[in-house]
Amino acid sequence: MSALSVQGLAFTYTSGGDELFDGLSHEFAPGKITAVTGPSGRGKSTLLYVLGLMLTPSRGEVRIQGEAVSSAPDAARSGIRAAMLGFVFQDAALDPSRSVLDSVMEPSLYAGRTRRDSLERARQLLDELGVGARADHRPGQISGGQAQRVAVARALMNNPAVILADEPTGNLDPSNAEGVIDILSKAAGSQQRTVVIATHDPYVIRRSDEVLSL
Amino acid sequence: MRRAALVRESLSDAWSSKVPSAIIALIVAAMCVMTISTVGRTAAAEAQVAERINSAGARELVVTDKRGAQLITPTLVDMASRLSVTDRAVGIGSPQDVKNAGIGPGATPVPAWAVVGDLEAVAHLVSGRMPGPGEALISTTALKKAGLEYPVGSMTSSDPRLPHGYAVVGSFTPVEPFSELGQGLIVTAPEGAASTNLRIVLKQAGQAEVAQAAILSFFNDVQDPQALGVSSPVELAQLHSEVVGDLGGFGRSLLYSALGIGALLVSIVVFADILVRRKDLGRRRALGATRGNIVWLMLLRSLFPAVTGGILGVVGGIVAAQQAGSLPPLTFCLGVLVLSLISAGLSTLVPASFAAFTDPVKVLRTP
Repeated sequence: MSALSVQGLAFTYTSGGDELFDGLSHEFAPGKITAVTGPSGRGKSTLLYVLGLMLTPSRGEVRIQGEAVSSAPDAARSGIRAAMLGFVFQDAALDPSRSVLDSVMEPSLYAGRTRRDSLERARQLLDELGVGARADHRPGQISGGQAQRVAVARALMNNPAVILADEPTGNLDPSNAEGVIDILSKAAGSQQRTVVIATHDPYVIRRSDEVLSL
Repeated sequence: MRRAALVRESLSDAWSSKVPSAIIALIVAAMCVMTISTVGRTAAAEAQVAERINSAGARELVVTDKRGAQLITPTLVDMASRLSVTDRAVGIGSPQDVKNAGIGPGATPVPAWAVVGDLEAVAHLVSGRMPGPGEALISTTALKKAGLEYPVGSMTSSDPRLPHGYAVVGSFTPVEPFSELGQGLIVTAPEGAASTNLRIVLKQAGQAEVAQAAILSFFNDVQDPQALGVSSPVELAQLHSEVVGDLGGFGRSLLYSALGIGALLVSIVVFADILVRRKDLGRRRALGATRGNIVWLMLLRSLFPAVTGGILGVVGGIVAAQQAGSLPPLTFCLGVLVLSLISAGLSTLVPASFAAFTDPVKVLRTP
């Protein structure tokens, strides 16, 4: 059973508007990176938000660990997001007012863990991703590549089964992009996580295990 | 999200958004200062007026036997003292002159009153003991006038209604509203003697109308309506009710205005803060924060500076009121603090709910 799948999926932003995904059915394989690609306006990022239970499909279902969850109540979807999904945004989206270490620990707060319980794992993740020395820095004091690594560490914080990344290399130079994809590949391969990346970056598409074209 | 984490996150948020936090603190402080220095002064004035109007003198109902028709009997005094609205009731005769027997006819006369009922209702014993039949207490201020160095001696009277002589057995100070007794002596009235005045001190000035009706019902058998004189605080009670009502109404409308304007301003500041930080809230939702978490975060995030501002405002308001010479009661100041915090909290709920129900995807995708 795959951690993440969709069945007959469609989404529309406005009632009666253009429908995206056209009844998409797909199983996202665990341990692999799936690149979602396609021309602008076809709903790459929207698909990620639907998979991340932040948007409710107009048709079809999103299944996580085999369970249809896309129409669950908001609080339940928030709980699933905190416990089972990790998000990586294009611009890292780190809180400028908190330290790198606190940023990484943020999802664990929403999952109901104590700061003490999360501290060790957050430090370990930052060390693994090569930004341990920046733990006490603010986002404004680190580079874009480092910020994106911190964002990946934050996505891995709660040990999620699924990682959803929206153009994670969009703002990075090739060297930093390679580093981030290396980390995501490792997260998928070694721990059997499902990684879905919305991208139009040919490098990312080349490094992906499968490509879902919209 | 755990409560401790929620509190820490809110504190951290309030600290990092220094400008909105300072504005919220300032608004709440201004609410408290304004309320205490205006409404508080009104409340203090209301309390003073109420206290004056409700003093013992203003609670006194007096029935006078104008023609000396023996209408105010000891039984009637006893009945009046047992009414539920009565604090104290005594019968007091007309004052009679008495003189120091040791000095003789040349002594300065001082007045003596025969009291029916409990002497402790009119006098506070300073020295000696309460008098029995044929004995008297002299007021501390009348001692010198009566030619006595100590409250011990003998007084004589030429009034046939009083015993010929009294042994002074102690001194007293009069209890309000019987201050006129301080000019002389009080004696226990002879058994069965009627009084000229029935003086009733009510528990509350507002009960005057009820008390007057009850007392007058004791005199239903009196045929001549001119035989009785009644001095009642009914009008004073009405005035009390009107003054307190007017001051209270004015204070309430001032309080509601201050709280309403403060709440509106806090709401605008929180709303603006939410618009500025909408990406932050969208990120939180994406990472797993529930709508409830967002509402609580915003609520606590506003309450922390509100508490700080409220405490400073109450202290400032007390200082301002003190300088103006009318310090409001402490309970009123605490009430203002609590109301200001409730007002700030409630005014945060609308923008916080807006933040919680805003589409996180829309704000995350907005550049």
